[in-house]
This record gives sequence, structure tokens and C-alpha cells, in this order.
Amino acid sequence: MTELDPQLFTEPPARDERFEIKQTWSEMTNMWADDGTMLIEFMHRQMNEEVNGLEIAARNLTDFPDAPWELRLAIARQCWDESRHVNAFRRCFEARGGEIGMFPVMNFEYRMIMAIPSLIGRLAVQNRSFEAAGIQAIREAIEHAQHDPDVAALLDAQLADEIQHVRYANRWIESLIRSNPRYALDVVRAVAQANRAFPMIAGEAAMHLELDDQIRTEAGFADAPAAPA
Amino acid sequence: MNVKQRADAVGTFRYIEVQLMETAAYWTPITPQMEVKVMLGRHIWDFAQHADWLGKRTFELRQAEHYTRRPGDDYHQLLEQMKQAEGVEERLTLLYDITIPGLIRRYERYLEETDRLLDGPTVLVIERIVPELRRQISDAHALRAEIGLKTTDATDFRNREAAIASVVAA
Repeated sequence: MTELDPQLFTEPPARDERFEIKQTWSEMTNMWADDGTMLIEFMHRQMNEEVNGLEIAARNLTDFPDAPWELRLAIARQCWDESRHVNAFRRCFEARGGEIGMFPVMNFEYRMIMAIPSLIGRLAVQNRSFEAAGIQAIREAIEHAQHDPDVAALLDAQLADEIQHVRYANRWIESLIRSNPRYALDVVRAVAQANRAFPMIAGEAAMHLELDDQIRTEAGFADAPAAPA
Repeated sequence: MNVKQRADAVGTFRYIEVQLMETAAYWTPITPQMEVKVMLGRHIWDFAQHADWLGKRTFELRQAEHYTRRPGDDYHQLLEQMKQAEGVEERLTLLYDITIPGLIRRYERYLEETDRLLDGPTVLVIERIVPELRRQISDAHALRAEIGLKTTDATDFRNREAAIASVVAA
């Protein structure tokens, strides 16, 4: 199994024995022929990514106890949202005969974000970049899920939640930089670090997703600096 | 109780709810079972909301908004000990079988001791919180049955919690 650079990736989160953990995208079960299994694998993978989102938000609460209370409140809410998403993806793939542990999973998101030492840096990479790219992907996935109403309903609800996560991050990043412009350096450092780490995971599978104008406006990007790729 | 005593009690309850939020958050990535992580995610938000409601009430009681007061040392030590619990079964036992039931008793004692007319807004906040804490206990019991987790012997912790008459520091 690939070893990840400890400067860019921290220790992994705990998983029970049902899960098989992989480090990079190329080690995952990547299917293209669709006999229905591809959707199950996708939802299984998404479920674990939501667990990563929950764990990152939880760590943001414990690692930064002096953050403004209103920001901590938004992060706590994100914990619940991500935990609901975990169960929602699980419900969908179990309804199609899937089981936890059928496919390998990756925990790179948690390991990458936890290597970023500042809260504003974590919000910039996790919420403004990963989740923002995620909402564009969800939006496109909804169009392909019309024959699976339960999946379409899940993605529709998830989209609304994720927009909120990007929006609160945008608001706080802007507010914190306004209060102390040096915070902008933390954002730059965090994004640079993520830009070094992510290709080690994704390899040639890395994609650039452009946010459409409606999402940018709803998620609070309209008046913010350009989103990191 | 006068207004200052009420503010001190509410500020102490706020401290405890924030500690419970942070403890549940601390356990989330280090606990292996996914179902437990999911439950903790829900409860993190519950504790945060309780802290928020209590913090807004402290301002009405002539303290700063989100006035937060550390409890007495004996209770504070219990919270710290719980946070460092090893293993999921011990964590769930200390939180859902001892600390939260004890906190419910303390909230109920506050309701008995305060003037429900003069202190009506605090009563309203606590009467919202207590059913949520009871639901958390039910969540934990159901989850343990579902995934086969046992309770652990925590007699010493239970006795120490029960022996603390008031969480409000002198």
C-alpha cells in the first residue's frame, strides 16, 4: 500500500474491522461498466467521505476552543449534517443490496485537513474547496439520478446542507481576514499545502470543477476572493 | 435564588454543555464504530444548542452573553476523566449512564429551587434541554443493543458524581 508523506497527511481516523482502507484513488475499486454495482460503490464511498466530514468538523471543535462561539455553533451543526448524510447514503446502498465493507474506502480528506494547523486554513480547504467542488458534483449527479428517486432526494437535500457549509466558511473567512489581514497568509499556506497533497491521492484522476454562478452566489462566493481550485 | 445566583448556575450549566460538546467531538475520530460516530455527531449539535440557549439567557441575567463559569473542581475533574476514557464502552457508560442522568437531576433541582414565575425564561430553556438529554440516553441504549456494546463497571465514577451536591463553584 502507498505510504503518504507525514508532512502532508496526519494519522488516520479510527475505523472498525468492517472497513478496508486504501490510500490513493488508484487503489480503490473504480468501476465503469454499470450493472448497478457502480452506484452502490459510489454511495458506499460517499458514506465514508461524509464520515470524514463529520470527523474533520469534530476536530475543528476540539482543536480550536477559542474560536468565536457563532463559528463553533456552525461547525457543530455541520457535525450533525454530515452524520445524517452518512445514514442517508447507507440507507440508499443497503436498499440496493449493498453492505458496509463491500468496497474499500479512503480517509485522505481527514488526513490532509488535519495536517493544516489553522482553523481558517481548514475552512478554506475543506469547506470552500472540497465541499464547494462537492456541491457542483452533486448538482450534476442529480441530473443523472432521475431514475433513482431516493438518490435524487438524498442529493437534493445534501446539496442544500453543503451550500450552507460553504457559505458559513466563506462568511467567517472574510470576517476573520477583515479582523486581521494576517489570516490571509494562513489561507494561502493551507491552500498551497493542499495543492501539494491532493495530487498524491488523486493522481491522474484529479478533475477541476467550476462552480456555476447560481451556486457561487448561494454559497457566498459572489463577493469573496476567488475560490482555490 | 437571586439574579446573580441564577446567572452563576446558568453559566455553569453552559460550561458543562460546552464540555460535553467537546468531549463528544474529541471521541468522534478516535472511536472506531461508525454508528457511534454518527450518534455523537447528532449529540454534538444538541450540546452546542443547549450551550447557545443558556449563553443567551446569561445576558438577560445581567452577565455577558455566553457568560461561562467553570464548575467546582471535583465536578470538573470528573468531566476531564470522562473525556480521557479508554474504549467505546467506557465512554458511553460514563456519558450516557452517569453524567447525563446526573446533569438531568441537576437541571431538575434547579427547576425546584428557582421561582418559576420570576425566572420563567430560564425554566423554558431547561424544559427544552431536559427532553433532549433523555432522548440522547435512549439513543445510546438503542445503539448499544443494535451493535452489541456492553456497559462497563464505573462504580467509583458513579459514586463520585452522586456525591457532588452542587456543580456551581463557590
